[in-house]
Amino acid sequence: MNPGMKLLLVMLIALEISFTQSLVVNCILIAVSLVYILTQHVSMKALFGIIFWPLFPAVGLFVSQWLYGSAGIHFAWILFTRIYGYVFLGATFTLTSSITDLSLTLEQDFHLPSKFAYGVLAAFNLMPKIVEEVQIIKTSALMRGEALHFWSPKLYFKSILSSIQWSQNLAEAMTSHGFVEDYPRTHYKVIRITALDWILFVVLFIIVQVLLFFIRY
Amino acid sequence: MTDVSINHFTFHYPDSDVKVLNDINITFKSHHFSLLSGPSGSGKSTLLYFIAGLYPHFSGIDAVGDIKFGDTNIKDIPRQDVSKSVAMMFQNPNQQFAMDTVIHEMTFVLENLRIEPAKMKDIITHALEFCDIQKLRSRVINTLSGGEKQKVALACIVAMDPQVTVLDEPFASIDPGSRVDLINKLKILQEKHGKTIILADHDLTSYQNLVDEFYYLDPDTHKISLLDGERAEHFFKNFESTQTINKKVAIPSGDENAIIKINDFKLLPHHSLLLKLAHFDFYKQKTTLITGANGIGKSTLFNALTKLLPYEGTIAFDGKDIKKIRPLPYAKHVTLLFQDAENQFLNITVKEELDLSLANRTNTDYSQADVDDMLNKLDMAGKDDRIVYSLSEGQKKKLQIIEMLIMNPPVLLMDEPFKGLDYHSLEVVVGFLNRAKHDFHQTQIVISHQLSGLDTLIDYHATFKNQNLAYQEVIK
Repeated sequence: MNPGMKLLLVMLIALEISFTQSLVVNCILIAVSLVYILTQHVSMKALFGIIFWPLFPAVGLFVSQWLYGSAGIHFAWILFTRIYGYVFLGATFTLTSSITDLSLTLEQDFHLPSKFAYGVLAAFNLMPKIVEEVQIIKTSALMRGEALHFWSPKLYFKSILSSIQWSQNLAEAMTSHGFVEDYPRTHYKVIRITALDWILFVVLFIIVQVLLFFIRY
Repeated sequence: MTDVSINHFTFHYPDSDVKVLNDINITFKSHHFSLLSGPSGSGKSTLLYFIAGLYPHFSGIDAVGDIKFGDTNIKDIPRQDVSKSVAMMFQNPNQQFAMDTVIHEMTFVLENLRIEPAKMKDIITHALEFCDIQKLRSRVINTLSGGEKQKVALACIVAMDPQVTVLDEPFASIDPGSRVDLINKLKILQEKHGKTIILADHDLTSYQNLVDEFYYLDPDTHKISLLDGERAEHFFKNFESTQTINKKVAIPSGDENAIIKINDFKLLPHHSLLLKLAHFDFYKQKTTLITGANGIGKSTLFNALTKLLPYEGTIAFDGKDIKKIRPLPYAKHVTLLFQDAENQFLNITVKEELDLSLANRTNTDYSQADVDDMLNKLDMAGKDDRIVYSLSEGQKKKLQIIEMLIMNPPVLLMDEPFKGLDYHSLEVVVGFLNRAKHDFHQTQIVISHQLSGLDTLIDYHATFKNQNLAYQEVIK
C-alpha cells in the first residue's frame, strides 16, 4: 500500500480508538496488525521491542484504573489494549515502510513542498550524527570540569547551536547539488496512489467503522 | 570559453571594519586547474561560496563588485541553471548529502537538474565508474569513510557535469590514498574533459607540478595575487620547510616514567582497523608530538584515550585501567583540547568562559595575574563581553588554549592546537606550554601538522603510519 495512504489510515484509526470504548475491536486491531507485521519479515528484536516496552505504560494505566478508577476493570482493559493498539498500528507503518518512499509520495502525490519533504528526509538521515554529536558535547564538557546530563540546559543549547550550523550546511549542499525550492524536478521513482490503494483504504476504513458500530463491548 | 572573472570584489561583515576580501581582481582561466592558497580563516571559502552562487543567498550579506562566468554575471543566471555552470565540493564530508544511500543521492542530484529518468541510470553508472566507486553504489552514506564520501561527492559533480568545479579544502580530513585518487580524477576532468577547477587549500602538499596557476590570498592586505613561477616556487619551498624541524629527539625507553601505558591495543571504529599496538607508553612531564597523514586515525586515538570511543585492549593511566576510573575525575586528569575550538565552549561570553575554568580547575597554579598576563600576550585582553562564537577562528583558538591551561590538568592532549594561529601567537603559546611543563610538571601529547616553531617544545616524536605508532628520532 502507498506509504502516505497507509500513514493516513493508521492515524485515522488511532484517533478513532481514542474516543471509542470497545475492547473487542481493540483486540481485533492488535491481532490484525500483528499478523500483517509478521507477514512483512521484520526482525525479532523489533517485534520484541514493540511487545515489551509498551508493557510499562499499559500496565501502569491498567493498574491505576483498576484500583483507583471509577469505571471498573473493563475500562482498565480498554486502556491497556488501547496502548497496544497505538503501538501495533504505528508499527504496521514504521516497521514496514521506508522514510524515503514516504517523502517521495508526500512530494509527488500529496503535493507537499519539496523542500519540506527533502528537508525532513535529510534531517532523518542525520540522526546517527546527532547521537555522536551529543556524545562529543558531553565529553568536551567533562574536559571543562562539568558533567552534562540529559536535563542540562547547556547540552540543549550546544545541540541547538550544532543543529543550526548543520541545517545551514545541509541547505548549502542541497543547493550545490542543484536543488531549487519550488522549482519542478523530474522523478526517477514515480510513486502513484493506485486504484488498489484507494480501495484498500476505503474498505479497511469501512470495516473498522462497522466493527466499532456493532461491537460495543 | 568561460573564464571566471572576479572584478573589484570586496566583502566585509557589517559589524566589522576589516575587509575579508579587499578589491579582488583576478581571472580563473577556463580549462585550467587553479590553486588558491592562504592561511586558514583568511577568506578563501568566502570567495568560493560566492563563485558557487551560494552567497549571498546563504550569508545574507552581499559583496561589492561582480563575478562573471564568461560574459554573464552570476547573478543573472537563473537559480535553477546555476548548477549547470558551477558545482561545489565542501570541506566537511559529513554534511553534503541529503539522502541515505549513494544511489539515492545521485538520483536526487539528477532529478534536481530535471534529467529524463530514462537517462539517469547510465549517467550514474558512468560517474561511479569514473571515480572507481561502483562498489559503493548501494551503500549507506553514513557508513562510508571520509575519503569515500568525498569520492561520492565528486561522482555527484561528475554526474551534474558543470563547467566549473570549486573545491573548499576538500582533503582536510581524508586519508592520503583517497587524496591522491581525487587529485588525479580532478586532473583528468580538467585535461581530458576541459573542465575548470578552482581549489582552495592551505596545505600545499603535492600540488607543485599539478596546478596551472597559483593564487595567494594575503592575510594582511586581504588581496589575492597570481604568483609567477618563481614566487610560487618560493611558497612551495617555504611550505615544505614548515613540514619539518631540524632537530633530533631522543627515543624513550623503559617504563619507569610512563604515565599512560597502552597494551594489546586495537582501534576498530566502523570495523576498519586503524591502529594495532602491542605496547606503547607516553611519558611523564614530556611533550610528545604525534605526526601522520590526514584521516589516518590520530584524532581517533585521542578519542580512545579520553574514553569517547570504544577500543580493544587496555589503557592504563598512572597504573590504573582507565575503564575503571569514573568519567569526570578521569577528564580532570587527562584532558583533551579539541581540534574545533567551538566544541570546547560551554558559555556565551569570554568572561563567563574564563570564569568557568577558574571555578572548575583542580589546582590554583595559575594566579589571576598569570591569567591576565596570558590574555595580554595573546592580545585577548579587554574582550570580556564578547560572545565567544563571534570571535575570529584565531581568537577562538587562543581563548580555548588559555582556558585549558588554567585548568592545568596533569596530562593535556592537544589536537592541532596551532591551527589558525599566526606565527607570533604560536611562539607565545609554545612559551606557555613550556612553562606548564617545567613549572607545573604537565605531560603534553600534541597532534600537529604545523612543525616549525615547535623546536623548543618537543621532547619525543611518534609517527602514526601503517596502523602503527612508533617513536622516531627525526621530525618530519
